[in-house]
Amino acid sequence: MLILISSAKLFAQSGAQEDLFSPNNRLKFANHLYSEKDYLRAIGEYKDFLKSTDNDTARFRFANSFLRIGRYDEAAQNFKILFIGSKLEEEAKLFYYQSLFFSKDFNAFQSNYDSRLNFPQKYSLTLDRLNSATYFLSKTNLPSEAVLIKPFEDSLQTKLIYFYQMMKNPPKKNPVTAALLSAAIPGAGKVYTGELTDGLIAFGATLLSGFLAVNNFQHDHNFRGWLFTGLTAFFYGGSIYGSAASAQIYNARLRFNLDSEIKIFFEERNYFLPKIDL
Amino acid sequence: MFRIRKYFVLFGIFCLQTIYSQNSVETQLAWADKLFASNQYFDAITEYKRVLFFDNRNELKAKIYFKIAKCYKAGAHLDEAINFFASVGKNATNDSTIFSAKLEIIRCNILRKTTERALQLCNELEKDGRFASNKNEINYWRGWTYMFADDWESASKIFGESPADKELKLLCNQVIDAKVSVTFATVISYILPGSGQIYSGKILSGLMSLAWNLAAGYFTVNAFIANRAFDGIVIGELVWLRFYRGNIENAKNFAVEKNFEVSNKALKFLQNEYRGLKP
Repeated sequence: MLILISSAKLFAQSGAQEDLFSPNNRLKFANHLYSEKDYLRAIGEYKDFLKSTDNDTARFRFANSFLRIGRYDEAAQNFKILFIGSKLEEEAKLFYYQSLFFSKDFNAFQSNYDSRLNFPQKYSLTLDRLNSATYFLSKTNLPSEAVLIKPFEDSLQTKLIYFYQMMKNPPKKNPVTAALLSAAIPGAGKVYTGELTDGLIAFGATLLSGFLAVNNFQHDHNFRGWLFTGLTAFFYGGSIYGSAASAQIYNARLRFNLDSEIKIFFEERNYFLPKIDL
Repeated sequence: MFRIRKYFVLFGIFCLQTIYSQNSVETQLAWADKLFASNQYFDAITEYKRVLFFDNRNELKAKIYFKIAKCYKAGAHLDEAINFFASVGKNATNDSTIFSAKLEIIRCNILRKTTERALQLCNELEKDGRFASNKNEINYWRGWTYMFADDWESASKIFGESPADKELKLLCNQVIDAKVSVTFATVISYILPGSGQIYSGKILSGLMSLAWNLAAGYFTVNAFIANRAFDGIVIGELVWLRFYRGNIENAKNFAVEKNFEVSNKALKFLQNEYRGLKP
């Protein structure tokens, strides 16, 4: 009978639990939710579990759940708790840096990295790469090319040098030059910014309306002469303004395309982060 | 005697433990149901998932998956809802539950406007011999699929097959009558500028379009009559043609806009006033 009772007790604990909210059961359920990527619910369960029990893996998963759902500040705060005396110290530090990185707080990331604050030695190469990525993505205070591309493998360096050169010396078009060119030859500024068809149309329209204005004045059609003079002035002014605007659009497009290209480059490689399953 | 009593007490303890452990899950399930009933869907899902995690009995699975799916549906997470309704189908022990889950998937597809998928599922369900007696129900949701896809003619035809859906058929017919033909509006605008707008209910816009076209046409023709060919070409090209093309484009846009209004009004009625089953 005692065996029967014991087995019943065991059954109760393993199958249909008698206390679904015991710390042990909360942890089991939280781990289940975490493995199902239901991070929001996992957070709630880990939180309640951690109130009563200190467990590094649970704390790590708790913090990582915040990271996964984009609550980076809370993730960073919880990873920090694992910095001292935890077996997951190195991983927590790496993920702390990830929290800063994904929150796009690149300044905080860089200042932490530069002062080697909470630096995980085990993942130093990963962090070097992540640090380079912050410069590529923010495009501010660029260090030397050699420093930025050093942590990456040889096969990627050509691409990264190209990104670096494009960031450092982007082949921008000067709006003033474009405007002056169009002032000299209508539409030339557009050709300068790569808008060949627009440039030719502007040139043709200005030339045609100018010709019609002169022709009408020569035949004493003064009203039409002034009408086409106005039209010529409109086309001419429009060509100058349009060329300056076209140069600005060219520069914006250049910036946008480069940003997208850099972002895709790092995203496709998951920011060179190692796969850590805990 | 004492020995028998002892065994009796021990047996009682054993039974109590088993019942208690069972009860604990049942209590939690009841709590989840209560959360569900009070529209606290996030917490309800958590508790349902907890019950499912600790008690994996097959007879519970289908029921809980159904509830979780309902919660996701209520929270407009239709993709997740469909996943869970599909799980109901896999774990259901009877045809009636399978049918309900499949219908729910169709309803979710109607709501997320994946019309083709909804129709495909209706066809699959209709072909399934187990649900031969549920043809009317399947047709009902097929009709709703068409209504959400703005195909009121097909919806009317489907609802016409069952006398119980007379109200919906009437509504579909009202929508069909109230709608205008985009092609007709465009074509009559080619023939008489402004008429397409008037046909679409924009009388003032139509009259103004007609006036602009008449005036521009008059100036163009007048210029040609006075042998001012250049003026005629310029006015004709820059003014008349601009108003003529604008009139055609406007007629088309107004017709489309009007049809949208009619459809939206009907859908709003269905959402707020209609008392029957809704997706």
